[in-house]
Amino acid sequence: MAHRLIHEVRLLLRPRTLPLLRRRRSRSARGGSGRLIVLGVVGMLFWGGLFGISWRVLRYFKGIEDIGDLLAYKLLSMILVVSFALLLFSGILTSLARLFLSRDLLLVHSLPVADHRIFIARWIDATADSSWMVIVFTLPVFLAYGLVFGAGTAYYAGTLLALLLLAVIASALSAVVVMIGVMIVPATRMRSVVFLMGVLLFVVLYLAIRLMRPEQLVDPEVFDSVLVYISSLQAPAAPFLPSTWASDSIQAALAGRMAASFFHLSLSASFAMLVFCLAVITAEAIYFKGFSRAQTAAATAVRRHGCIERIFRFLPGPVRAFTVKEIKTFLRDQTQWTQLFLIAALLVIYIYNFDVLPLEKSPIRTVYLQNVFAFLNMGLALFVLTAVAARFAFPAVSLEKEAFWLVKSSPLSIRNFLLIKFFIYYLPLLVLTETLIVGTNLLLKVTPFMMALSTVTVFFLVPGIVAMGIGLGAAYPDFKAENPAQTASSFGGLVFMITCAVYITVVILLQAGPVYRLFMADLHGKPLPAIVWFWVVAAFGVAFTLSILAVVLPLRFGEKRLSRMPL
Amino acid sequence: MIELKDLTKAYGNYSAVQRLNLTIGKGEIFGFIGPNGAGKTTTIKMMGGVMAPTEGSVTIAGIDMQAQPQEAKRRIGFIPDRPFLYEKLTGLEFLRFTADIYGVSERRFPDKAAATLAMFSLTDWSNELIESYSHGMKQRLIMAAALLHEPQVLIVDEPMVGLDPLAIIMVKNLFRQLASQGVAIFMSTHTLKVAEDICDRIGILNRGRLIASGTTDDLRREANVSNADLEMVFLNLTGHSA
Repeated sequence: MAHRLIHEVRLLLRPRTLPLLRRRRSRSARGGSGRLIVLGVVGMLFWGGLFGISWRVLRYFKGIEDIGDLLAYKLLSMILVVSFALLLFSGILTSLARLFLSRDLLLVHSLPVADHRIFIARWIDATADSSWMVIVFTLPVFLAYGLVFGAGTAYYAGTLLALLLLAVIASALSAVVVMIGVMIVPATRMRSVVFLMGVLLFVVLYLAIRLMRPEQLVDPEVFDSVLVYISSLQAPAAPFLPSTWASDSIQAALAGRMAASFFHLSLSASFAMLVFCLAVITAEAIYFKGFSRAQTAAATAVRRHGCIERIFRFLPGPVRAFTVKEIKTFLRDQTQWTQLFLIAALLVIYIYNFDVLPLEKSPIRTVYLQNVFAFLNMGLALFVLTAVAARFAFPAVSLEKEAFWLVKSSPLSIRNFLLIKFFIYYLPLLVLTETLIVGTNLLLKVTPFMMALSTVTVFFLVPGIVAMGIGLGAAYPDFKAENPAQTASSFGGLVFMITCAVYITVVILLQAGPVYRLFMADLHGKPLPAIVWFWVVAAFGVAFTLSILAVVLPLRFGEKRLSRMPL
Repeated sequence: MIELKDLTKAYGNYSAVQRLNLTIGKGEIFGFIGPNGAGKTTTIKMMGGVMAPTEGSVTIAGIDMQAQPQEAKRRIGFIPDRPFLYEKLTGLEFLRFTADIYGVSERRFPDKAAATLAMFSLTDWSNELIESYSHGMKQRLIMAAALLHEPQVLIVDEPMVGLDPLAIIMVKNLFRQLASQGVAIFMSTHTLKVAEDICDRIGILNRGRLIASGTTDDLRREANVSNADLEMVFLNLTGHSA
């Protein structure tokens, strides 16, 4: 019986495991190893960075007498709570897709296999998919803990096991929640509900944390309240939370108390078994009913207002067609417009951060500092723009999905298609970035020179960044991606982020010297020598040329690649 | 109206379509049949301008597809075999989108859209999101959109897939009517009965080569099977037996 179960589950998982092996083979055959190397190097850099930061922080904590270990343990417990929350959230979205929305489910459910076995196969798949990233990217933190605390081999084995058990618990709980949820809300709607709730939760949590002003913790004037805070660190964590068992187990292993560590691991393991059995029993009872319901999506009638058509009536036909289509699709796709909450929160937090900067406490002259911040702020705001563009402009071409044949077969050239996409995203992103720049400059009370410089610089850099998003998105499209976030995290997305980072850095570095000279001359009311003027003109000229090239080259590159791409 | 000259598509060493030469006149319905993987869809994609040929040329209404793709495409109604559409638009919004791209005037759009939607029995569904349409409804919507700008050439890949019997009869009549108005129709199909019923000429493609072309009678003669149906002719010419 058990042998047959394992055999059937393995068979059901084969369509997922075989392509992984085959992809590896075909990629290397097609010369895609360069792509893998880039991804590997960036992954390693990120991993190494995480390790380095964790190492520094933990070494710092270790150096603090009395409360150092306490802080490290508190941090550990917080990391595990956050990881567990992430695993749960990702588990719910992945379970929903794997158990109810995947295209191959019709075929799978037509096979002569029991429901609970189909469930187990899909659940294993969902668990691997939803948890590998959380586990892989928390490992450097735990490695740093082990090294700083001088832990033995048992700590590393125990920690890995604790993380795996946490992933299993989160995934099984998610599956139960999803199976019950689908009986109440249709599966297609549930994804939107979960996503919206997740975004709102993130925004609220982030705003709450940010508005508590954690930077005050390093301000000596409020040290009394920090002492009060430290005493609260000693309060025990919630005893029935799986992340607490994982945290207790890892803490005990760090301190060399292996028996206690094993006890907490056993708690995790027994609960993982229990919740897995519960998920299988639930699946046997309601999984197929839920799947059956998920296939009967209600028709959605749309009210006819025609407002958007009226607003864009002045545009030429093809431009209007794509603009209206883009806006309507965006507004009707919950996974898209809910991201606006994130951007709004980002905007508020970004500007708020500048409002609370304690510039007056700095030993450096305020007027000087204000303008240095304003200059650096240009780069920062452009990096924010890059992140936003990676999420919206870069996937713009891929969002045509398999309906891209409509563009290819239409009398619209690929060049015009890309230009339309460019302008659709350029205007809102320009408004966003200029709002960030002007808002923060006003709060910093910068000189008129700096205000003019930063708004003009940003005005010239935004088109380049948006064009890189559209152009590289066209060069590396993924018409099969289920959501834009997936597209943004692809190889092309990485190329876009790196290119933008280089572009912004080069322009900022080009401007830094001349701007400093201009600013100081303006401050002291002294004229500039001719050679400095030449330097200023040359630097700004090169920056301006780069900005034009940043628009033209990526769009041409994207046009070339997209035109050649077979459907 | 349609001219294919030495049309070739190669994927590495594999030739999907080899030196295809064809001319389809005004008002003619040309059926393209062949086994799976024969190169029918590849040919259709090159004709629709969604895939570039390795060699050769496609001329639509005297316009070279490679030299002036936009002008050539303006004259085509392209209907692919799989109905991928913008799922978050309604049927009517999709028609408006197509009309804007192909330059159908604002003044004519409402009447044209209403008539086409009615012709394809989609009026009741026109304000619902395409994501809630069935496969057949999406196929009908694509056809409606392809006809909106009154193309001179209609290129259709598997027109009857997913359609109910009533819609199949309607589409057959529609094609005949369009041909009588001078529209050149190039369609690929697996439904040999449809090809036999409405096509003026039929071409058989096998392993990327056009192995026979002509009226049903011409093909019967070529296959040496008098009085046999197209199915038998097809099997004989492609070297398969029933």
